[in-house]
Amino acid sequence: MNRETRTPLKLDDAELRSRRAYFEINDEDLERLASLRAFGQTHLDDIIESFYRFILEHHESRVFFADDTSVQRVKRLQKEYFLGLFSGVLDVRYVENRLRVGATHERIGMPLRIYLGAYALYLRLLLVKLGEEYEPSLAGMHFRSVQKLVYFDMSLAVDTYIASYVETLGRHQAAIRELSTPCIRVYDRVLLLPLVGTIDTQRAQQIMETVLVRVADEQARVVIVDIAGVPVVDTKVADHLLKTTAALRLIGAESILTGISPHVARTIVQLGVDISAMYTKSRLADGIELALSIVGKRITQVAP
Amino acid sequence: MSREVLSSVVMPIAGEDDVVLVRRRVRDLAQAQGFDAFATAAVTTAASELARNALVHGKGGRATVRELNEDGRAGLSIQFQDQGPGIADLERALAGGYSTARSLGLGLSGARRLVDEFDIDSAPGRGTMASITKWKRLY
Ligand SMILES: Nc1ncnc2c1ncn2[C@@H]1O[C@H](COP(=O)(O)OP(=O)(O)OP(=O)(O)O)[C@@H](O)[C@H]1O
Ligand SMILES: [Mg+2]
Repeated sequence: MNRETRTPLKLDDAELRSRRAYFEINDEDLERLASLRAFGQTHLDDIIESFYRFILEHHESRVFFADDTSVQRVKRLQKEYFLGLFSGVLDVRYVENRLRVGATHERIGMPLRIYLGAYALYLRLLLVKLGEEYEPSLAGMHFRSVQKLVYFDMSLAVDTYIASYVETLGRHQAAIRELSTPCIRVYDRVLLLPLVGTIDTQRAQQIMETVLVRVADEQARVVIVDIAGVPVVDTKVADHLLKTTAALRLIGAESILTGISPHVARTIVQLGVDISAMYTKSRLADGIELALSIVGKRITQVAP
Repeated sequence: MSREVLSSVVMPIAGEDDVVLVRRRVRDLAQAQGFDAFATAAVTTAASELARNALVHGKGGRATVRELNEDGRAGLSIQFQDQGPGIADLERALAGGYSTARSLGLGLSGARRLVDEFDIDSAPGRGTMASITKWKRLY
């Protein structure tokens, strides 16, 4: 079983063609690059070594290569990348490959500027080697073709980063949407607080303030706190619930915790959190019944 | 036994939002791998505890979330690293009920009980590295 790195981006044939045209990569360039394959092979080790010497010399790039094994691994990938420049093929598969390289660097948290700096270094190293090997006008033509393709690759890398940032932004927004709290009066002196989503410290404070003010205003006796919509009940959430319960008790109201799913119940127990200070009912309906009994009311069946 | 890493993602832990994002990712991956509801809640909650510890006590850090496969068995491992003050009395912190933050002090001990493998390395001035692994249950 092997899962490939997901790339948040896809390029279809038409897109590829228009991008190729924009970077003016024609068949002549690709042929030229293919003819440089032997050149690439010859200088492969040398260039990759210089490349990593540079990377490891600079603090901002070094931090992404924690240990020797990871350096060895990326060196191998880097060689693949390098030789890919001289394949003479620029198709959807090539693009997918490049996008994956970009996604991999984005995922390890490498900033785009570091990544782009590495491309610039590639070009410098190649320029030197080409100048040593070929007479100036030929070296210049070769370099132009290489440069086109490297810039093309850079454009893909930039797109990968942007796509991934947009995705992250969407996730952050989803997290934000989870925040906000209604407090509902279900019966005289009985309030319902349906908690949905993530409860962070700020929100927990806001919840506690809201509910304390409402309880005082309505002279409520009972607050039903329903946590069916809270995905994770960790010690922080439990701590907030317990503190809210304690504060409510100080102003004369009981709290009933409902909506505890079996797996949340078990998680709370394994965490070792003691919530015996709160009344608990697994179903909201049972919680409402208990709340009513506390204020001296009862739900009864009427004769048909 | 061969343990294969199927994917590995590094996530920053610099604010409460990040704690939410880390545990969302953990929950999504657990569900995608077919963990049952108990195991999903357990690993997500444990991740939440350690991510928050890295944020609150460790002054922020990062989490590395890995999908594992060991001889066909799916697993999730999350490693938390911070460069914070470290834990002076690890034994006491792990025993539970001890908090330097006027909280319940149940995060570490609870997280340990919720997962299959638990590893922590910390010393004053060296920061803290905690790592947890949860395997999909085989019935
Ligand atoms: N990453 C860390 N860096 C430094 N100290 C830590 C770290 N994680 C835990 N600690 C120390 O260990 C203690 C116990 O941690 P634990 O998570 O069990 O409790 P807590 O965070 O204080 O409260 P909570 O029950 O809300 O999690 C903390 O109070 C803190 O002193
Ligand atoms: Mg904690």
